[in-house]
Amino acid sequence: MRKQEEPYLTGNLTAMIDVVFQLIIFFVCTVAMQDKAIDDSIRLSMAPHGVAKVNKNPLEINVDVDKRGRLSIVRTPVTRDLLGAILLKATQTYGADNVPVIIRGDEKTKHEAIKDAMDACSQAGIIKIRLAAMKERGS
Amino acid sequence: MARKRWRPDARPGELNLTAMIDVAFQLLSFFLITVKPVDVLADLTAFRPMPDKKAVKNDNNTAMIKIMIMPGTFVFNDRACTPAELDRKLEMLAAADPTQTVLVMCANQSIHEQLIELLDKCAKWKLTNVSVVSSGGI
Repeated sequence: MRKQEEPYLTGNLTAMIDVVFQLIIFFVCTVAMQDKAIDDSIRLSMAPHGVAKVNKNPLEINVDVDKRGRLSIVRTPVTRDLLGAILLKATQTYGADNVPVIIRGDEKTKHEAIKDAMDACSQAGIIKIRLAAMKERGS
Repeated sequence: MARKRWRPDARPGELNLTAMIDVAFQLLSFFLITVKPVDVLADLTAFRPMPDKKAVKNDNNTAMIKIMIMPGTFVFNDRACTPAELDRKLEMLAAADPTQTVLVMCANQSIHEQLIELLDKCAKWKLTNVSVVSSGGI
């Protein structure tokens, strides 16, 4: 009697490759969305001795102050009063000590614009303010 | 119930990995080309005291270090100084007591870069108690 030929042992990788591609697409899309929240036109001053920012607090509010002194949050222009109202709402919800505010001011902006952002913070009860700077420029 | 016997003459499996390796190299090339160096950000912490309108104005507080930021220059305890001089003075002060309060008064027309430069110097010498106030007019 003739011996029957053994079939090859194969694994079906289609599902795994599908999942890998889905993950790649997910991460590529979410990274792009995170970049959109940061205003690249703001050039931060150099502070080589500052403490490097490692972790991002999900509650943190970044207040951008551009070269012309305009205030914005997540690329949305805000007035000083509106900024104050937003910060007040945040402090009422989470507590003044739990809402980190980071002021990202352009290096060439005048202090009077930064002052507006700082005053909005202090009126909302936030006395500890963080100013963003560049520790090491990547490019 | 019959058990399946292991047969040593079973042929090893074969997988055609060519397509997957092709795609992996494509992805590797894509990420290598599109990657850009990441900027390392720093946070400089300062206190912003609320203006107390009821408080009596007292300029004779000698225990506090006052640094004014004027457009283009720094004024340390009422004397103008260069950034290098300021750095040396802060180093001496920090050596004496790093917990003392540094009061930074910024003129409205001074540029933000100066404030960051001063806060960076304070961070360099571990002066942690820095308060920033604004002086209008100038």
